[in-house]
Amino acid sequence: MNLEKVIFGFFIVLALTLNFGFFIGDIDNPDHHDVVELFLAIVVNLIATGLKLGDRSHIGAILLATSLVANLQLIGAAVVWAIAVHVSEAGMTPSAMAAIVSLAGGALVANIISVTILVAETLMMRR
Amino acid sequence: MAVAPKSSAPKSSRVTFIILRHMRRPILVLITVYAVSMVGWTLIPVIDEDGKRSTLSFFHAFYFLTYTVTTTGFGELPSAFTEAQRMWGIVSLYAGVIAWFYALGSIVGLVQNPDFRQAMAERQFAKRVARVTEPFVIVCGYGNTGALLTRGLSEAGMSVVVIDSEDRRIRTAILREYRSEVFGLCADARVPEHLTEAGLLKANCRAVVALTQDEEVNLKIAVTARLLNPAAWVVTQSTSEVYEETLATLGENVHIIDPFQTYAKYLGAIIGSPALHTLNQWLAGTEGATLDHVIEPPHGTWILCGYGRMGRWLHEALELQDIEVVVIEPHPDPARERPAGMIVGRANQANLLKAGIERAAGIVVATDHDSDNLSILLNARALNPEIFCVVRQNKYRNQIVFQAAEADFIMMPSLTGARRMLFLLIAPLLKTLFESLRATEAAPDDRRLAETIGRLEATVGGSQPRIWTVEGGETACAAMRRIVDEGHVVTLDLLLRDPAERTRHLACVPLVLKSGEQVEILPDLGRPVRPGDQILFCGSPQAYRLLDATLHNDYTLRYLITGRDEPRGWVMQWLSRRYGWEESHGPVAEA
Repeated sequence: MNLEKVIFGFFIVLALTLNFGFFIGDIDNPDHHDVVELFLAIVVNLIATGLKLGDRSHIGAILLATSLVANLQLIGAAVVWAIAVHVSEAGMTPSAMAAIVSLAGGALVANIISVTILVAETLMMRR
Repeated sequence: MAVAPKSSAPKSSRVTFIILRHMRRPILVLITVYAVSMVGWTLIPVIDEDGKRSTLSFFHAFYFLTYTVTTTGFGELPSAFTEAQRMWGIVSLYAGVIAWFYALGSIVGLVQNPDFRQAMAERQFAKRVARVTEPFVIVCGYGNTGALLTRGLSEAGMSVVVIDSEDRRIRTAILREYRSEVFGLCADARVPEHLTEAGLLKANCRAVVALTQDEEVNLKIAVTARLLNPAAWVVTQSTSEVYEETLATLGENVHIIDPFQTYAKYLGAIIGSPALHTLNQWLAGTEGATLDHVIEPPHGTWILCGYGRMGRWLHEALELQDIEVVVIEPHPDPARERPAGMIVGRANQANLLKAGIERAAGIVVATDHDSDNLSILLNARALNPEIFCVVRQNKYRNQIVFQAAEADFIMMPSLTGARRMLFLLIAPLLKTLFESLRATEAAPDDRRLAETIGRLEATVGGSQPRIWTVEGGETACAAMRRIVDEGHVVTLDLLLRDPAERTRHLACVPLVLKSGEQVEILPDLGRPVRPGDQILFCGSPQAYRLLDATLHNDYTLRYLITGRDEPRGWVMQWLSRRYGWEESHGPVAEA
């Protein structure tokens, strides 16, 4: 067993599961999407990105790229949330909620790619 | 003083120049017609709907011409025309349409002009070759040997630039499917400019191979290549001593291959050391050749049909093996010494009987006519069904007939020649291996040969192995250099372990290791490797892929050498340094 791989795999999979938890539910219903879960998803995604920094191999570069995409999308979702609640006069409307969840959905795809690459690399190693 | 033109620059300007020269008159005609018409339009008075007199502006004149002369015809714009305008309209329309037809006809004529097409093709070709960044080989002459060599080089992943003076051959070369990039130019390779277009001056031009039918042309190509790019190898074939002597004076990196001599050597190997021959066939990836399948030709008297350029080499090769040879030749060269017991005449039944075919162990049919060879073969079989038959096939297209004839050995001089050149280009170290496996010119070093074959069979086995050279270029060995700099010892044994399971080895044998000037045949697995060493490997295609991937991946290589999966990211590296955790992988074999 390799402790590095455990930590690495833990954060990458947790990033995916939190992301999925936030995403699931009616797309425009604010009751189905929790802001705390979005916050946790962003934090775990940032940690996963940090772990990927410095890997010189080709697969490492692809993993880092997908992680950056997920971060970009999730932070975009958070910005939209903040604008909807604090800046816009209309408050959290169904259309703003739909925009937030669809951004999180994009991040989910990036996280799924990350996990797929991780699994593929592990299977290739066979050890 | 005359100034020599720069070698590659004029090509693109030449194309422009041809277009300009060709289009000069049509363009002048068009401009004149437009100018006269437009002036006419601006002079003729216009009466608009309100009855006011004015004239067309240049802009309107040009607009009207644009849509009438191109036969679009929107109508009379901006207002209905006067009769005078309509008359001028007829004149300018016909004049303009004729001028356009003339110009378009000239362009079509130019595109069909063979000189222009050649110039365009050369320009395109030169541009594409200039973009090649991988090592490549220039092959001049796409005949039997050239085509076989191109095929082999592309299988080994090397790009090839083919030059041939026959358009038909270039078209076949381009149409065939190759694994690597193959470019073709229909041009005379004697012209140095064509060689530079083919990339002779480029640093990644590994070699120039001259394989045209004409030895004079080959010599010219060799000299040009030698002078313009001394670093590139020159490989050529020659069957006459005069040219070989001249070529030899060109110095190092010039390799002359006599296809007939090579062929005779192969034949000598079949008879004198079948195992060596089997190894050779196997390494060359001949279809169906395996290491445990050794053909043992019988010993006794042999009959040699044909005593030309090739026959003499064959005779020498057979005599070297202490084999009694009876030669049959219809037209012996009067200038040359005849071997003892030579029968002058065609190899018909009577002469074959005279040569003692009924008691002979084997027959080598080596005339330069395929139909003669086949008929002699059938005759010989009829007279002695047990006889061992070696037959020379000259033309590749007769392949099916020769296979149907079921000779014990079919040998094509172009194939043996092409194979030799291929090995020279992709695995130059292989020659040293074969030299070391020979105790004398005629007999192999049996112990060493058995050891080599045994090791290859146990480790690689199967058929159609892959041979490749790992060269210590700057980028290729960057990962290994870093690891060696850290004080680790990289041995062949560690390098050849399976990245998926470190206790196993890859199906791969290092054949030759060249470190500086020192050459080691079948190096010991415990031998340390330094970055920059040249190593010739033979292994399964999968082993090739895995080793190649390992050498380009820091982490895999590090895992093979140290047995440890190093932490990859900066955070993990810091954590592992801070807390010094160690991971285990279960059993790790001792190096």
